[in-house]
This record gives sequence, C-alpha cells and structure tokens, in this order.
Amino acid sequence: MTSRTLWVASVVAILIALHFSLRPILEWRAGIDFLLIAVLVVAVRSRPGVAAVAGFAFGLVADALTPEAFGAGALGMTVVGFAASRLKGAFFADNVMLHAVFVFVGKVAFDLIVVLAERRIGGAALAVQLLAWTPLAALSTACVGIFVMSVVRPSRDRRRA
Amino acid sequence: MLAVVCAFAALILLFLPEGPRASVAGAIRSTVVAPLVTIQERASLAQRAFMSHDSLVLIADSVLRRSQRLDEIAAENARLRELLQLGEAIAWDFVPAEALVGRGMGSDLTVVLSAGARAGVQRLSAVVAADGLVGMVQQVDATRSIAIIWPNPELRVSATSADGTAFGIVSAHQGSGVERYLLELRGVSFRSKLAIGSVVVSSGLGGVFPRGIPIGTVLEELRGTAGWERSYLLRPAVRPPDIISVLILRPGNVAGMEQVWLDSAHATRPR
Repeated sequence: MTSRTLWVASVVAILIALHFSLRPILEWRAGIDFLLIAVLVVAVRSRPGVAAVAGFAFGLVADALTPEAFGAGALGMTVVGFAASRLKGAFFADNVMLHAVFVFVGKVAFDLIVVLAERRIGGAALAVQLLAWTPLAALSTACVGIFVMSVVRPSRDRRRA
Repeated sequence: MLAVVCAFAALILLFLPEGPRASVAGAIRSTVVAPLVTIQERASLAQRAFMSHDSLVLIADSVLRRSQRLDEIAAENARLRELLQLGEAIAWDFVPAEALVGRGMGSDLTVVLSAGARAGVQRLSAVVAADGLVGMVQQVDATRSIAIIWPNPELRVSATSADGTAFGIVSAHQGSGVERYLLELRGVSFRSKLAIGSVVVSSGLGGVFPRGIPIGTVLEELRGTAGWERSYLLRPAVRPPDIISVLILRPGNVAGMEQVWLDSAHATRPR
C-alpha cells in the first residue's frame, strides 16, 4: 500500500468520523454530507465497480440510522459512486469549479434517488425537499468537497510522478 | 457487474418485508456502525452540554438548594406512611435516552434511541419528552432501540380531552405542506365538542401509553367527516426538531403518571 493510498484512506476515515460527529453538532437542515464526499473521493481514485461497492457499504452505514427506508441510501450511493467513477475523467481537470460541480451534482443525484426510493414524501413536501433543501445541502457539501477534492485529486499524483 | 450486484442488493433491502429488513439493519447497527453511532451520541451530548451549560448551572443550584431539605422531608414522609400503615410510594420507572438524527431530509418517521435491552427497554414502551408524547419503541437491540414517532402513520394513540369528556384515536394527519406535521383526533362522539385550544392527552386505554401524557392541542374541527362523530386537527405537544432527550417508560408500573404533567403545568404557571 503506497503512502498516497494511506493518505486517501485517512481522509475517508476522517470524513466518516466527521459525518457522525460534526454533522449532528451543526444540526443544519441542509447539512454537509461527509459520507457522500467520502464516496466521491473513493470514486475518483478507483474503478467503477470498486466505487459502487464502496458506495453500497457507505450507504448501508447511512441507512442504519433510518431503518424505515433501509436500502435507499445504499442504492443512492451505489449509483452515485459508479457514475462518479465513470465520469471522473471529465471532471478532474485542475479546475476548482469543476470539482464543486462534481460534488454538487453528486449530492443532488443522491438526494433525488433516496427521496424517490423511500416513497415517504410526495406533493409539495417533495418539491420543497428537491427544490430548496437538496440544492442548499448540495451547496454546503460542495463547499467542503472543493477542499477535500483538491487534497486527494488524482492530477496531483500525476504531477508528482 | 459489481455495480449491478450492489444496486440489486440495495433494491432487495429496500423491498424486504419489515421484519427481515429490521433484522439486517439491527445487525449492522450493533456491529459495524456501533462505534459510529456512539460517536454521534457523544457529539450530540457534547453539543447539548455546550448549548445548555448556563441554564444547567442554574438548575443545579436550585436542585442543590431543594435537596438540602429533601432528606428531612423524605424521613418525615416515611414516618407518616408508617403511622398510616402504607407501603412504599408508587414510583414509575423510566430509562433516559438521546434521540439520534437520521438522514435529516425532514422525512424521518423513526428515531434511534441511545438505550436498549441492557438498560431495560422493552418493545412497545411509550417514549415521552418534557412536553409530551413522542412515540413508541418498535425494535430493541442490546444497546439501542428504534422508536416510531408521531408523524409515522402506524402510530395510533387512544386519547381523551384533559377534562375526560371526549375520547378518540390520535394519528398523524395525512396532509401536505405545513399540515404534514399535525395530528388528527378521530372518532370523537358527536355530542362531545372540543373548544379550540383544548389539551388532548393519552387516555390510558390500550396498555401502551399511560393516562395523562399531553399529545397536542386542538387547532380546528375537521369538516367533511361522515356519520355521528367529530374529528379535530391537533398541534402536537412535541415538535419533531425538539425530539432530542427523551424518556422511555417501562411498561407496567405507571400509576400516577398523569400527575407529572399536571404538576409541571402548575409549577410553570405564573404566580
């Protein structure tokens, strides 16, 4: 295992810890999704299949605290992880804005899949969730994501090599 | 191929019947996720301690002052009970717990509680907060439990008006928008008309919720109800964002419970 892999593993571990420590402390309705950032970090550094498995595992972790919709988070993270790994070539230039868009779109896609898979809210509540809270949560997640992605982006490795 | 397998597995979990799905979720919660849930529990406690430090100091001071007289009163009480040949005073039993937030998409119908079977929590125990009814324990792990909370359509509570003149069943109001977070009192007999602002409490029927737990206050009468019954829209006593620290009532010894909220209402009344 290279030092770079260890470094990325540490970043993922920190993100998971932050999801269960900082997120409840902040108590934001449009909270930062550290787990999703962790999935995207894995996705940009691995093949689509591995990213999907990581997404599935992280999704199960997220679902454990929402048992009535168990599986929805796993489905969302699997799809986002797989898609992110397939699309990483398009997004991972040295452009901060593209990183932000990458995380933002990932979070919106995840929320969309989860809310539709859960089938718990509909009508106006669904519209408010998807048109107000999801974009806000995606924005806050993207802000943190820019920083994390700049730390672990593959292009940095290539430059070093 | 891996991605398809994972997506398929997620779909299977999503459409599993409630029993097996709860078992899988419970197994994950009590093994892989257990340390993470503990971190979340500690973080929530730390945040609450930080936010409420000043008020807690004031409360601690008041409690200390009162407790200085408590031993004396307890001894006197015991002496008088002995004189009257009464046994020990009945005391109801509860387990304090923290409610841990889930995905936070505003659609949570259950909460994970930080106490489980080891603390004496049992299935179908009532969950209450300082302001009133929160929900009911549905599933118990060794160290955690899952409670359905009042927005969950599966939760139904036998209720009565505070003066005991009207009885009905309270459940979540299936409205949209803001009304999604309201309750409904159904099946009230036509002759029992409740005034706006009337307090509705649990009736004690059914054996899960002891009598006297505040459920909500009447906002308006629902129109369009057929037959000889009335239905009312209620504002819940406990809002979902306020479900933080809760008490899980142990089933059985709940006599005197109705006095708790009555006493606290008297205590907070301005003098």
